[in-house]
Amino acid sequence: MRKVAVVGAGMTPFAEHFALGIKDLLPMAFAECAASVDKGLDKGDIQAAWFGELSTTDGFPSGILADTLGLTDIPVTRVENACATGNDAVRNALFGIASGAFDVALVVGADKVRESASKDTFWEWAGMTRDMAWDYPLGLVAPANFALHVARYLHESPATKEHMAMVAVKNHHHAVKNPKAQLRFDITVEQALNAPTVVAPFGLYDCTPQSDGAAALILAAEEVVDRYTDRPVWIRGVGLGLDRVMHQHKRDMTTFPATVKAAKQALGMAGLTPADVDVAEVHDCFTGVELISYEDLGFAERFGAHKLVEAEATSVGGSLPVNPSGGLKAKGHPPGATGVAQCVELFEQVRGEAANQVDGARIALAHNVGGPTAVSAVTVLEGPGA
Amino acid sequence: MTQVSSVGTYLPCWGSPARRQVGDDEDVLTLAVEAGRAALEGAAGAERVILISRELPLLEGGNSAVLLAGLGLDPELEVSERLGGAPAALDALSSARPRTLVIGADLEPAGAAAVLTSGEGLSVRAATRLTRSLPVRTRDASGAVHDYGDPRLLRERGLLASVAAAGGEKPVAVAGTDRKQALSLCTGTPPELPTLGASAAFFALAALADAGITGTLLGTEQASLTGIVVETGPARVNRREPPARPVPRGKYTPGSEIPISLAAYERAFEAKLRWEAARHPGSDELDFPPRYRVGQDGSLSSDYELVPLPRTGTVYTGVTVHVPVPGLKTPYSLVIVELDEVGVRALVKVTGTEPGTVDIGDRGRMVLRRVAVRSGVPDYGYAFEPEGSMRTADKEAA
Repeated sequence: MRKVAVVGAGMTPFAEHFALGIKDLLPMAFAECAASVDKGLDKGDIQAAWFGELSTTDGFPSGILADTLGLTDIPVTRVENACATGNDAVRNALFGIASGAFDVALVVGADKVRESASKDTFWEWAGMTRDMAWDYPLGLVAPANFALHVARYLHESPATKEHMAMVAVKNHHHAVKNPKAQLRFDITVEQALNAPTVVAPFGLYDCTPQSDGAAALILAAEEVVDRYTDRPVWIRGVGLGLDRVMHQHKRDMTTFPATVKAAKQALGMAGLTPADVDVAEVHDCFTGVELISYEDLGFAERFGAHKLVEAEATSVGGSLPVNPSGGLKAKGHPPGATGVAQCVELFEQVRGEAANQVDGARIALAHNVGGPTAVSAVTVLEGPGA
Repeated sequence: MTQVSSVGTYLPCWGSPARRQVGDDEDVLTLAVEAGRAALEGAAGAERVILISRELPLLEGGNSAVLLAGLGLDPELEVSERLGGAPAALDALSSARPRTLVIGADLEPAGAAAVLTSGEGLSVRAATRLTRSLPVRTRDASGAVHDYGDPRLLRERGLLASVAAAGGEKPVAVAGTDRKQALSLCTGTPPELPTLGASAAFFALAALADAGITGTLLGTEQASLTGIVVETGPARVNRREPPARPVPRGKYTPGSEIPISLAAYERAFEAKLRWEAARHPGSDELDFPPRYRVGQDGSLSSDYELVPLPRTGTVYTGVTVHVPVPGLKTPYSLVIVELDEVGVRALVKVTGTEPGTVDIGDRGRMVLRRVAVRSGVPDYGYAFEPEGSMRTADKEAA
């Protein structure tokens, strides 16, 4: 397989973009991405595109992408893999280039969550992820899907709600410096612990907001990378893992086996270990999920995640900063865009250009888990070095 | 003459001791299933079912299938759904053949009681019947209720006039009227009854059977009445009557109709309402919900059999939803229950206790409830009722 690099990356701010439709957000993200290509990009260079979108706002996603960006002469494939969509779109584009089929490809992720009345959003989105006869009628709201895991995790591990609050405080603090983040304010552990309960054990500050946004990457083959930049960010590894879909079929709910599989694939492909990672964007739709993911990704021993937050190891300035962008928790979470936006953040991190820069970051890992907890995608990036 | 082998009763845990209320997940069918299962416990089963109520939920059809599935009875059995109160319940009982399950169920106050007839047991026989018209309460096809509002008229020209006209000996119990009237009409002290409709007749029968009292049991409704003579003989009484406590406070959030797929409903119905899992040939592992399998060699296995699942289990994990959910009342609790000894877990709502009071490791039983109403369709399934649901403290609120 050929080596593949990210040569451009850009995104819209994540927010409740009531004033912007999907057809506005896509050109905005693409233009910022194109502008980040050091030596410039001619749209005609793009030979194929992969578009990650969960919903089908304003029409079928591939067509919307091709049409809004004026790319109707190239193949566009829509990727939908629950909350792992973004990093799976990266993965598919990588294989398209690594195989030799294409030299330059576009990856876009986007979603418009705040497009329907908030009273309808839950049932609409739940309809996409739940068994209609067995689970849908139960009122298994998005936080409840993850809370079922985290409640058991808190029961078995030494971690407590205080540790979840520490994750929220950290990610909120990281987002303050990120102009693209949705929730740019600091909170305290006390605020997090005293916030209204959403789904026990999650309080308001344990949960991601509902977001709209888009993010884009330009990927290029090793042979042509020099045309675009002298500072390519190499995609060292990609992985995708799955698990049983219904919660009642997951034997151990203190872990996400999908993540373990995806991380093993991606790090294996890169020939790296978790200890090699300098910075990570980890799927923190709910704070407890970040803790569990530390263990699934190999950053912490089993039931040892709480020690990392206690030691502030995963804060910027610590030994393995996680979610310097603010994460889903504070940067926001338009599901199709989330994984791509993680790679935008990490592209900037390993090139030393991030808003909330991690010193010396070279190896970076992006991680999603979704479906609600039955699919995970992991991408490992390496910076151009000194 | 009819012989009664057992009487089963059910009262929801909500409301006051004198006036029970259904939970949000209960209706006449779930009440009837609870009482019916209590009557059937330890019995060989029933050959036909009669349900008497004035609050049948599926007036266009569908009650019977839910009832038979919830009771674990053969879908080939005859079910008759009858509109009526206490007189209709006693009429149904006194004319029932052996091995008939006769259930009365009411919503206000809430309760249900079921009687299983047999070739032996407690003997009852028809004594008096009088049907007269005094429609002090009416309800039209749209469900609108009109109350005439004259209790003395009802007492004088309804109850008392009919009792006088019917004649016969003084009753030992009266169902379908309030306690004060019952005391004035009866010899001795009549049993206190928790309901006023069809189920009241069978709550009265349960009380007489328990106390070994013989005599006339009168069922009344407006100006109509039916009397039966309760004689001697053994009848087993199985009561599911938890202590009463206040309905948990919650907040209903208005929303659009929750959609339903009736195709999915129909496919799931048998396993979901009968609480059964799939067992594929040559496999000990159960699939719940049932599903097709594909073997290692790619071969399809679709001819599974449905086998009953245990109805007791232990909470593996659980959460309580506090955030407003459009179309639902919050808070509510969801749990994953590890069913006893089959390696099967179920994701279900919690019932019969205040939200937020169930913990990992708690034990309980699976009970049929109306888990949702979607686009006008009551969606029945199982809920987890914790053992000894006497606790009231909200541990999470602490």
